[in-house]
Amino acid sequence: MAKGVLKTALDAHKNRNYKLERQRKQEKAAKKKKQEAAAQNEDGEDVEEGGVQLNESVGAKVNGEKKGKAKNAKSPKATKTEPEWETEESENDSDDDDDIPDETALGLARLDDSESDISGDDSEDDEEEEDDEAEEEEDIALSDIESLASEDKGDIIPHQRLTINNTTALTAAVNRIQLPYSKLAFSEHMSVVTDEPVEIEDVEDDLNRELAFYKQALSTVKDARKLLKKEGAPFSRPADYFAEMVKSDEHMGKIKQKLIDDAAGKKAAAEARKQRDLKKFGKQVQVAKLQERAKEKKDTMEKINLLKRKRSGADVTKTNEEDLFDVELDHADEPGDRRRSGGTGDGKNFKRAKKNEKYGFGGKKRHAKSNDAKSSADGRDFSHKKMKGKTGAAARPGKARRMKSK
Amino acid sequence: MASVYKSLSATNGHDEKERAERKNKQRVLILSSRGVTMRHRHLLQDLYSMMPHSRKEAKLDTKTKLYQLNELAELYNCNNVLFFEARKGKDLYAWMSKAPNGPTVKMHLQNLHTMEELNFIGNCLKGSRPVLSFDAAFEKEAHLRVIKELLTHIFGVPKTSRRVKPFVDHVMAFTIADGKIWTRVYQINESEPGKKKPTADGEEMDVDPAPKKKGGKPDLDVNLVEIGPRFVLTPIVIQESSFGGPIIYENKEFVSPNQIRSDLRRAKGSKYNRRTEAIRENKIKRGDLGLTTHGGRTKEKDPLSDSVLFA
Repeated sequence: MAKGVLKTALDAHKNRNYKLERQRKQEKAAKKKKQEAAAQNEDGEDVEEGGVQLNESVGAKVNGEKKGKAKNAKSPKATKTEPEWETEESENDSDDDDDIPDETALGLARLDDSESDISGDDSEDDEEEEDDEAEEEEDIALSDIESLASEDKGDIIPHQRLTINNTTALTAAVNRIQLPYSKLAFSEHMSVVTDEPVEIEDVEDDLNRELAFYKQALSTVKDARKLLKKEGAPFSRPADYFAEMVKSDEHMGKIKQKLIDDAAGKKAAAEARKQRDLKKFGKQVQVAKLQERAKEKKDTMEKINLLKRKRSGADVTKTNEEDLFDVELDHADEPGDRRRSGGTGDGKNFKRAKKNEKYGFGGKKRHAKSNDAKSSADGRDFSHKKMKGKTGAAARPGKARRMKSK
Repeated sequence: MASVYKSLSATNGHDEKERAERKNKQRVLILSSRGVTMRHRHLLQDLYSMMPHSRKEAKLDTKTKLYQLNELAELYNCNNVLFFEARKGKDLYAWMSKAPNGPTVKMHLQNLHTMEELNFIGNCLKGSRPVLSFDAAFEKEAHLRVIKELLTHIFGVPKTSRRVKPFVDHVMAFTIADGKIWTRVYQINESEPGKKKPTADGEEMDVDPAPKKKGGKPDLDVNLVEIGPRFVLTPIVIQESSFGGPIIYENKEFVSPNQIRSDLRRAKGSKYNRRTEAIRENKIKRGDLGLTTHGGRTKEKDPLSDSVLFA
């Protein structure tokens, strides 16, 4: 405890100065922070670090005045006006033990308090919680507080936060871990940086974006290939080198199947579309065909009628008729006339014939199909081939031939 | 004297050997936190299959005491840690760290597509060394240089790795676009260049402004086929030491997915609030104008009504 006594004496001697100095420093830091809220650069941190050291050393030495302050602090304890006071009071409790590590810890805690006090005056409750949570990451807490506060306001952009970009620390970190690229062979690290930064105008544009990535990779590969070949390192895999691949055969099979399925699906879709179009078009074709057929039929009927009229009427243009109509037509209407045209064939009773034609009476219906003398004398339908009997019988060869074939 | 010389030379040789060994010796501990989804797990598997110098570990139980990873890395002789932290079963954060005391980068991993679901026809040898391709923008800023270095250490397969295959057949590309790091993996495919004859080709090569290497064999055309996986990284924070220490970089533009989701919800909620408010006001207005019977309020009880009188 002699040490403690000495310390207290020393504190009593010196603490006033330290205290003031510390406060001044904090104020300075606060001012700086407020001025450059956007980026907390190296200078600010330096000041803070200075603060830390001071606090650590001071922690033990503030004893003398603490007793006095503690009394003051007792009344505002409940209301908690200033965080600094409270921490000092708690320090006071622990100071009786005079443990140095404890004090340093408290010093740190106090630093946290004061830091957050400076940063966010408006939201004290929040900041208390933050302090408990994040001791080391006070900067994060600070930015969190800021974002919270602005969020409550609502009309300010909600995600404004303090950026830390400690360039010197970053470069130091890089230098610490960086591979000695200049000394290493390329085949050791195989990393290439492109000459030009890749520019992508619109990251939402998938095709162009992927194209840019592809181009970057391709240029890299070409460079790397050249470098590796120069160093004599193996690059391409020989065709007869087989080893386990990243994607298994099963996986590749699945991919292949997928590709085939896709292609087949595409083909089927194209086919279906074609068929659909054809169907749509085919209907038109069919309609046209039907119309054409109907027209043809009409034409032929007209021709036939004309012919009939010509035949039945006076043979005025007999000579022309022969030229106009086919022989086939002539023949075609001949046998049909046989029954109906009763008298006309003979050239008798034209009047009757005309009337029959006009009024549709073609004579008696009965006995119309029965034979008479004339029909039996008509030999036009006779075919001697038909009279020869069944044609099937001819298929059977004669006996001699049958025997021979056996 | 001879023994002294011997020992000296031996130490010298050992030194040199050590330097040679020290050239690029990386081992990566690769693991995830609990609560990863199937896709996250598959991404981990994909990366593991492409990194012969990596060591996979069981899922880490904690999400707060990440400094435990340092001990774990030491246990497995790893000097790099690639840790995937899943949150809420949907957000994935990737931590990259140099294990004993190097910097740590925390990144948000988005737009994740694993090898399996991408169906790319590219393929490569398991354990072949990748060419790492970096955008020139990586050299522009300090924090990006840190990230580049970490990516080089973690994804670059060292020559001396144990399960490594001697050929180079894939390339890993990192590009910066929109403040994010986009990652792609391609297979390097070499093919005979079309119909030209080798002699004619050689002559043409001479004419070319950038003549390629002339050898006995004709130069091959290089083209790339994508293998997968794909993902996008957004750097959030860089810490000075491994899973701890002061923060030396923090990304201002990063908005946490939680924030985005809550904003969306709030926007939706405010819409509803506005609507109900309008309905209520309308009701009151109509009541004040005497358009509704009781002005939207409950009717005062008539002291002379039957129900009161004969209750």
